[in-house]
Amino acid sequence: MPVLRSLFLMLLASVSAAVAQGAPDREHRVKAVFLFNFAQFVDWPDSVFADPDEPLVVGILGDDPFKAYLDEVVRGEKVNNRPIVVKRFRKVEEIKDCEVLFVSPSESPRLEGILSSLKQKHILTVGESEDFQRYGGMVNFATEGGKIRLKINLEQVQEAGLSVSSKLLRLADVSGARRE
Amino acid sequence: MPLRNLRLQQRLMAIMLVTSACVLVMTCAGFFAYEFLTFRQSMVRQLSTVAAIVADNSTAVLAFEDRKGAEEILSALKAERHIAEAGLYDGEGRLFSTYPKDADPGEFPPAPAAEGFRFGGGYLQGFQAVVQNDKRLGTLYVKSDLKAVTARFQLYGAVVVLVSGLAFLLAYLLSRALQRQISGPILALADTARAVSDRRDYSVRARQAGTGELGLLTDAFNQMLTQIQGQLTRMELLNQITRAISERLDLTSVFQVMLGALEENLAVDFICVCRYDADARLLTVTSVGAKAAPLAEELGMTANARIPIDDGLRQCVGGQFTYEPDITNLRHTFTDRLADKGLRSMALSPLLVDSGVFGILIAARKVPDGISRMDREFLRQLSDHGALAAHQAHLYGALQQAYEDLRRSQQAVMEQERLRALGQMASGIAHDINNAISPAALYTESILERETNLSTQSREHLQTIAHAIEDVAATVARMREFSRQREPNANSVPVQVNKSIQQVIDLTRSRWHDTPQQRGIVIKIKTELDPGLPPVMGVEGEIREALTNLFLNAFDSMPEGGTLTLRTRKGKDKDVIAEVSDTGAGMDEETRRRCLEPFYTTKGERGTGLGLAMVYGVAERHGAELQIDSAPGKGTTMRIVFPEAEEAIAERQAPEAPAAPLRLRILVVDDDPLVAKVLRETMKMDGHEVATANGGQAGIDTYLTARKSGAPFDLVMTDLGMPYVDGRKVAAAVKAASSATPVILLTGWGQSLLEDGDMPPHVDKLLSKPPKMADLREALASLAPKKTAGGIPA
Repeated sequence: MPVLRSLFLMLLASVSAAVAQGAPDREHRVKAVFLFNFAQFVDWPDSVFADPDEPLVVGILGDDPFKAYLDEVVRGEKVNNRPIVVKRFRKVEEIKDCEVLFVSPSESPRLEGILSSLKQKHILTVGESEDFQRYGGMVNFATEGGKIRLKINLEQVQEAGLSVSSKLLRLADVSGARRE
Repeated sequence: MPLRNLRLQQRLMAIMLVTSACVLVMTCAGFFAYEFLTFRQSMVRQLSTVAAIVADNSTAVLAFEDRKGAEEILSALKAERHIAEAGLYDGEGRLFSTYPKDADPGEFPPAPAAEGFRFGGGYLQGFQAVVQNDKRLGTLYVKSDLKAVTARFQLYGAVVVLVSGLAFLLAYLLSRALQRQISGPILALADTARAVSDRRDYSVRARQAGTGELGLLTDAFNQMLTQIQGQLTRMELLNQITRAISERLDLTSVFQVMLGALEENLAVDFICVCRYDADARLLTVTSVGAKAAPLAEELGMTANARIPIDDGLRQCVGGQFTYEPDITNLRHTFTDRLADKGLRSMALSPLLVDSGVFGILIAARKVPDGISRMDREFLRQLSDHGALAAHQAHLYGALQQAYEDLRRSQQAVMEQERLRALGQMASGIAHDINNAISPAALYTESILERETNLSTQSREHLQTIAHAIEDVAATVARMREFSRQREPNANSVPVQVNKSIQQVIDLTRSRWHDTPQQRGIVIKIKTELDPGLPPVMGVEGEIREALTNLFLNAFDSMPEGGTLTLRTRKGKDKDVIAEVSDTGAGMDEETRRRCLEPFYTTKGERGTGLGLAMVYGVAERHGAELQIDSAPGKGTTMRIVFPEAEEAIAERQAPEAPAAPLRLRILVVDDDPLVAKVLRETMKMDGHEVATANGGQAGIDTYLTARKSGAPFDLVMTDLGMPYVDGRKVAAAVKAASSATPVILLTGWGQSLLEDGDMPPHVDKLLSKPPKMADLREALASLAPKKTAGGIPA
């Protein structure tokens, strides 16, 4: 298809540009896409959004390992007609409106406090450190044999009032009993 | 085998089965077409559903690049065994995962194409977008083989074959059962038709088959049979009648047979046949049917009644068959006559032959329109046959009559021929006998006359001899009479037959009165004589003799007595008829045919067989006809029919008495020396000078010599029949020398010689042998030359 092909070429050109700005490694490029994709498979309560057009915010707390790549990924994309906005937070207190939050490994020392403060806030927390889930993190990127595996603490997700698509759950290592 | 050659049942079944098969094939074809179309659609739908489900399940694996998860999801496709291949392409269009997982990626399309499924290359294949929340994550490719279609259609094929087979079997069974509805009556009809044509039996009928078309057909067929049967019966009857009437040869019987048959077989109240007389414009009733006779009496139409032709009959006598269904309104004389006696319908059939209508057949009934078309046709045909038979009978009668006439005239000619031959023979015999007895007669007479000194006994003996000679002469004369033909003007005088009959009755008295009465037999004589009977021309003696012979025969036929009737009357054309009837034995056919032959006799020794022969001779000479009516036991009527007398000739004077003796020089010429000698001697005794010459030439020589020598003969007497020079030549020679010299011709042939004309030329007198002295003397006296007159007395 000539149209698809031209789109693909355009995409390729933009990626090249991003890499030229200071591209992240391949792992984080994938994780950036995954981060965006979580928005597709997780449902938030309607109360989260004040109005239908309110953007869905993907936040990064701490150092941003994705650099500008995440911005490229979400540019022009929409989830349930909501535009996607990438916000970068330095402190947990800054976080007000956020739906998906990547907790950078740079915050590991404060992880327990961060995660506990984010409870009840309907934010899908994503991390990539080994003990992320020990402190109440919901989704953790685990690398096994060069492959990124998703680990989901379903208990935490449910406690946060979020629901995760079963399709996503099927791929992931799910922990935490379901409370029903 | 073409359909039309099959038997009806097979044909019907074939038609039904072909129809069923067509319906089945069309149904199956439609079914297949429908299934083919819908199954492809449903296959596409099914595949796209599966693809949609798999694609939906594949969102996460694509989103999170989980190849293992993708393989698992795709492996679920093995539940659909017809799916040959499937592949997931990621958002960038790269092949992400395949099914089966070890499939050759080269077989897959290098990049996803537009969504949708299509058939091609023996597969159904297509692409399904993988979308999560409007986010296109990749594409699913699915390829399904068409074995499902094949399998499906195999199943359908099997079902179709099975169902068609069952349906066909059912159709066969049903058609076999149902075709009987149609074929049954038709076959029954065909069987009947075959029975009719095989056995020629038109009395069979087809079984009734309801009220439908087949019922109508059967009805029509049966009606046809009834008609044919009727026609055949009529034909048979016509044949019988025709045969019966063709055996009849008289008209009345032909008509009676015809009418009888018609009355027996046709419903008619009155029937008759009339002859048609076209000139008089009349019908004459010829025959009336036996049953119709009382009605015919009432109608005044019994046999021989006459009916004038009126307008009602005109058409029929013109040759047209006429039928009047109701005659009451016609107002013709004839039809009113029938209508008055209650008759209503009438048929008139002309009897036609080549020459036209010769009669009509009238049939009538007392009901209006009572003579059916078939009956009328029958009447018409029968009239044709009857007319033909009647015509033939008529022709046959005429033929029979002509044949009878021919036979009679042939018989008469033959009889005449035979009698003529016999007559000539008798004449020859008579000649010889006359020659032979001439000397005996002349000498005996001469001796008796001249020798006065004979003893009494000798004289008696001589007289006996003389009588015997006379008897012989008489017999020979009768014989000659028979053969003698008519002698013109020979003593023909008007003869009163009534008078002759009276004389005969008187002359034969001894035979019918005296002799029989001595033996106690009574013969009654009855006379029925026409007093106004005209005379006939003839020789009285001969007529009398003929009648006498008839009398004597009649007496002989009544040895036990009886009645003899003598009858005279005028016949047609002024003929004079004399009849002699007896009540005697009669004659059978053989006798009747031969009775006129000389020497034919039924009286044995007593009869000469010359009596009727002589009567016949007399009748012939008088131009009369001799008719004989006789049958054994019924008596005999002999009838002589004389022709009308042409002229009344005055009765001749009696011949003059012999003159006084003369002395003459006489030359006797005869080749029989004995006759010459006796003539010479007897005439010498009378005082004549007699010379004899033996034979004609000698006679002429002697006469001429004597004449030269100055002593000529006064008279020449010559025999007629002599070798070389006969009596005629002698006479001629004598007359040539001296025309005044009388010539007497003496002949044993009697007068039969002269049948063709008068006296031979140059002859003055003709004498028969044996000559009697008296005749000789009279001839000589009449011819003696008178010295003064040279002519011959008339």
